[in-house]
Amino acid sequence: MTVDLNKLHAVGAIAEEAEGKWGMVIDMDLCTGCQACVAACAMENNIPYVEEVDAGYGRSMHWIRTERFWEGEYPEVKMSAYQPMLCQQCGKAPCEPVCPAFATVHSQAEQINLQVYNRCVGTRYCANNCPYQVRSFNWRDYQDSRVRPEITILANQFNPDVTVRRRGVMEKCTFCIQRIHKAQDKAKSEGREVEDGEFTTACAQACPANAITFGRIDHPESLVAQLARSPRAAHHLEELGTLPRVTYLKEG
Amino acid sequence: MSKQISRRDFLKLATAGAATTAVLTGCGPTSRFVDREPYRKMPEYTYNGISTYYATTCRECAAACGLVVRTMQGRAIKVEGNPNNPVNLGKTCARGQATLQGLYNPDRVENPVKQARGAQLSQETLDWNAATQIVADALTNTNPSEIAFLMGMAPDHLFDLVSDLAKAIGAPAPIRFGALGMFEARATLSKAAEDLFGSASMPFFDLENADVVVSFGANFLETWLSPVAFTRGFARMRRGNPERRGYFVQFEPRMSQTASKADAWIPLRPGTENLVALALGRLIAEAKGGAIPAAFASVDPVAAAAEADVIFETLERLAQTLTNAGRPLVIPGGAALGQSNGLATAEAVLALNALLGNFGLPGGVFISPLAPAQDAYHRPASAKEMTDFIAKMKSGGVKVLFVHGVNPLFELPKQLGFAEALAAVPQVISFATFPDETALASDYIFPDHHGLESWGYQRAVVSAKPVLSGAQPVVVPYFNTRATADVFLAAAALTGGTLAQAMPFADEVAFIQSKLTKLVGEEGFFAAPEINSFTAYFQQYGGWWTLDPSLATPSAANAIAKRFNASAAEFAGEGEFFFLPFVSPTLGEAGANKPWLQELADPTTTVMWNTWVEMNPATAHELGIENDDVIEIVSEAGSVEAPVYLYPAIRPDVIAMPFGQGHTAYGRFAAGRGVNPADVLGVHFNEAGDLAFAGMKVTVKKTGKIKVLSRLESRIGVYGEGLEKE
Repeated sequence: MTVDLNKLHAVGAIAEEAEGKWGMVIDMDLCTGCQACVAACAMENNIPYVEEVDAGYGRSMHWIRTERFWEGEYPEVKMSAYQPMLCQQCGKAPCEPVCPAFATVHSQAEQINLQVYNRCVGTRYCANNCPYQVRSFNWRDYQDSRVRPEITILANQFNPDVTVRRRGVMEKCTFCIQRIHKAQDKAKSEGREVEDGEFTTACAQACPANAITFGRIDHPESLVAQLARSPRAAHHLEELGTLPRVTYLKEG
Repeated sequence: MSKQISRRDFLKLATAGAATTAVLTGCGPTSRFVDREPYRKMPEYTYNGISTYYATTCRECAAACGLVVRTMQGRAIKVEGNPNNPVNLGKTCARGQATLQGLYNPDRVENPVKQARGAQLSQETLDWNAATQIVADALTNTNPSEIAFLMGMAPDHLFDLVSDLAKAIGAPAPIRFGALGMFEARATLSKAAEDLFGSASMPFFDLENADVVVSFGANFLETWLSPVAFTRGFARMRRGNPERRGYFVQFEPRMSQTASKADAWIPLRPGTENLVALALGRLIAEAKGGAIPAAFASVDPVAAAAEADVIFETLERLAQTLTNAGRPLVIPGGAALGQSNGLATAEAVLALNALLGNFGLPGGVFISPLAPAQDAYHRPASAKEMTDFIAKMKSGGVKVLFVHGVNPLFELPKQLGFAEALAAVPQVISFATFPDETALASDYIFPDHHGLESWGYQRAVVSAKPVLSGAQPVVVPYFNTRATADVFLAAAALTGGTLAQAMPFADEVAFIQSKLTKLVGEEGFFAAPEINSFTAYFQQYGGWWTLDPSLATPSAANAIAKRFNASAAEFAGEGEFFFLPFVSPTLGEAGANKPWLQELADPTTTVMWNTWVEMNPATAHELGIENDDVIEIVSEAGSVEAPVYLYPAIRPDVIAMPFGQGHTAYGRFAAGRGVNPADVLGVHFNEAGDLAFAGMKVTVKKTGKIKVLSRLESRIGVYGEGLEKE
């Protein structure tokens, strides 16, 4: 089966070897900004909270956030659609070439951007080069019970499939790669392919409005690929040529 | 043999059929929990790297969303929605996701304690036998009419147990309260349904199948009644039908998160919602032709639009849209009902629906069915009923007060005087899981398990299908806590005599089974021939619900024949601003002790970890107020200080403030953070006895202090901040 990758806006070097490509579609007409995805992501991926002062300095660690913008002034004021923003898993990722430690690299198997925590030396070049501002940096040892005694008990909840990061390490959305691998392992042991909708990311699973869809964007019949062909589809900062894997569906 | 039967075998055997059930009835309570074991001694039902999943019910609010909790080696790892439960169909909200941070919260009540109304959580621990004896003594040595039970909106099984217990000893029926119920104006909704339809049940709004939706203040995407169900309904309304996109209009003085999803947000003057609803009705009736129904006859749409500060042509266009709509729906709720004329607003909106002819049709108004095995709808107490209860406490009419699942010291307006009333009660016994304000002001705290460690059930209040969502422990209790139901049952057994006879249950599970017996043999999501296999399925699937909706159609005749109060709300106080408190969409009423809920950005302002006051930028500039300036809000009832957030989408004559912060106790993440708007609420009611919480006028004063709010949004460029000034 041949896939017209140009229709998926996936042109360029990466698109040629796009087998195994995971992608996401977010319907901004449905997103209600409720933050369920943010909380689900934090619980799934052992993301630390940074508390009020650090949050005020912009150090909060959300891997996904909902953005909204204001237009006009009262009474002609409008709020834009809520726009969940997460790592766009760019085909040509600006974060990758700037890392001196090769900590942020492109995965051939899943076609996503990996962050190798134990390579990261904390230069933060990647975050500075990310046009989507979706990378978060561990400014402190937020998950160390010697620094925060309450972690001793809160750590009972930690997901054993996901590494806990220490100070000085950059992190970002992984498309819940632990879930991808788990589903692939299961399918492999049963001698079959992963089916569409068999698993999904934590954010998509929680979303009460069903605004987030995740799946194989290189399978034209998968739900995510069908939605990505919608006339409402758009990519963020497409003009930069980053080839994002996340497609947004506009209102209207 | 029964002792060796593990939980896994129990389920396996039980689901195998009735033949095995003789073995299972011998199961003791000990086999009902999953043990948290060290790795060197792995329980036989856990395997390295493989998770076990348990279906249960969320207790972060009373909506009865089903959960499936992923556990690993006896620890709860992740909460997911139960895909079978009709309320949430596999989805959760942020508060449901963060419930794990309540389970593994560093500030739980770890043991039963003699609190003695101290400022801090007491270290004087008791053992559970002593605790049970104290409860038994309180039940036997007090005149039954002077015993009071104050319960939260969840869980329902405990409310049922306490109701039975109160009946058995001849005590007054337990009182149920929750701040969410107050801000949702539940009493007003059910009173309006009683007046118009003749039954005091909850109206059901079929959002999912409507194509034009107009909401008067109902914040159904945030915390209102069943937000996950409504969010799904909203999504299907918007994009469920490929032929058309649902159209949504919200009337509200401030753009709430719900209003921010509307195609049109119409900021009307607070307290004029009933006028606008009647004016819309009149315009629609005129467009439809024929006689104008009595309900809408007396209103002058032009004058109503002027009084509501809404452009008349906007109303005309909306009336036209509603008239032409195939499935129009109008929803009343929230602050629109928390006004002196709130009941008139609720009734006018229901009448408007009747005029639109949507009763009993897809996308219209129905009467919510009762939950399975429920005999009548019990709404939570209104603020008026709480006032009467407080008066009884103050006059010495309550000698023993049992409190579970509610924190009235925080949730009720300070001016109601619950603190003074509590001081007048000689013995207060709290069953709080967390050291909240009311628990600290008690004589004893006998901590209940966290919701994820508990048995129980919860009824869905607004659901097309009757749902009884089941709860079971997903982990073994982490601390030395005990199920409140078990404490009451053990205490009843200790008292002996008639009470012990009236409550002959070995434990909580036996009590729950006794309530489930009615459903044995009923057709539903599953059917089981006898109680033990029914219970096993009930745990496995996370509850029981019917396969088909059983919504009742209200009669439209009375609704449009009635005449409604057509005057705007009255406001208490003298100030220049209308005061609009709203429940924080991320924290809800009791989320402040979970760090990740604090870290979530408020959807509209992106503020984290604190309380803010929303003020229109133009008004603020006139008063010389900038972002982060701390202002004092003075009402007839008191004053609070909080930093300002210049909110572009709020009327210039309104200030708004989220409810959820401002705890003086409740653990390290909540205590001493932000302020509580309930401290400035005056005590005024609407005709249904709900608090007119949005019926205040306040003055504001600049204090000269600055408190920088932590926001997720960038400040650069917001009203010129951070940019070079010329």
